[in-house]
Amino acid sequence: MNLYMMSFALFLVGLYGVLVKRNIVKVIIGTGIMGYAVNLFLILIAYKEGATFPILLPGKEQTIMVDPLPQALVLTSIVIELGVTAVLVALAINIHRKYGTFDLKSIRRLKE
Amino acid sequence: MNDKKGMTLIVKTITRFTVWLIMLYGIYLIAHGHLTPGGGFVGGLVIALSFIHLTLAFGKDKEVKVPGIHLSHSLEAVGVLIYIGLGIVAMVAGLPFLTNFIGKGSLFDLFSSGTIPILNFAIALKVSTGVFLAYLLLVLIEHEDEEEE
Repeated sequence: MNLYMMSFALFLVGLYGVLVKRNIVKVIIGTGIMGYAVNLFLILIAYKEGATFPILLPGKEQTIMVDPLPQALVLTSIVIELGVTAVLVALAINIHRKYGTFDLKSIRRLKE
Repeated sequence: MNDKKGMTLIVKTITRFTVWLIMLYGIYLIAHGHLTPGGGFVGGLVIALSFIHLTLAFGKDKEVKVPGIHLSHSLEAVGVLIYIGLGIVAMVAGLPFLTNFIGKGSLFDLFSSGTIPILNFAIALKVSTGVFLAYLLLVLIEHEDEEEE
């Protein structure tokens, strides 16, 4: 349970970065930290005490293995997170091109 | 070596030694994708990172050949076509889509498990060129910005 609470705390760190920081690059890093916290939580759910990785190898004894389904889910989640980060970076580059700044408080010409 | 493009001489020299090891590790991950952790996605990412490493170190000069935007786009499409083509070949043989129709061989051999290594290669082609294409397009936006100023 402590590990779950620690991954939730990591999620809150990312949420703090998204809500409070004024630099767009730091906001993007905050969304990345939130995604990593959720991935860590999903991997921790599938963990069993004393289990091994779910892959057959020559000479490896057949014991209890962890659940491979959340790991496949997290792999897909990482791919989607990569695409979202690429879109956010492209938006940030365009904002810097149009307004000449990364500061969110300085962008005040949205209605033009 | 003395031109202003790219990074300094130290970075360029170290890149010449390390980039082949990075690319070789990516090829190892793809080739052993059906036996060990790894596979097409992870190996493709490592190969894309080796291309990005080369482009970051050497800049836009033509000293080192890396795939351009058009070649990356074509190779990405070829990866998808290999994947779908293998699925349709299984349908032509009367089996469900993407069935493993080649003999599976013995367990833990490098050349085994039928069509899975070919599918791994297709995914690696798609992922490596796709990630490198995203990097190239982001650099292109910045470069257009410099041209306007």
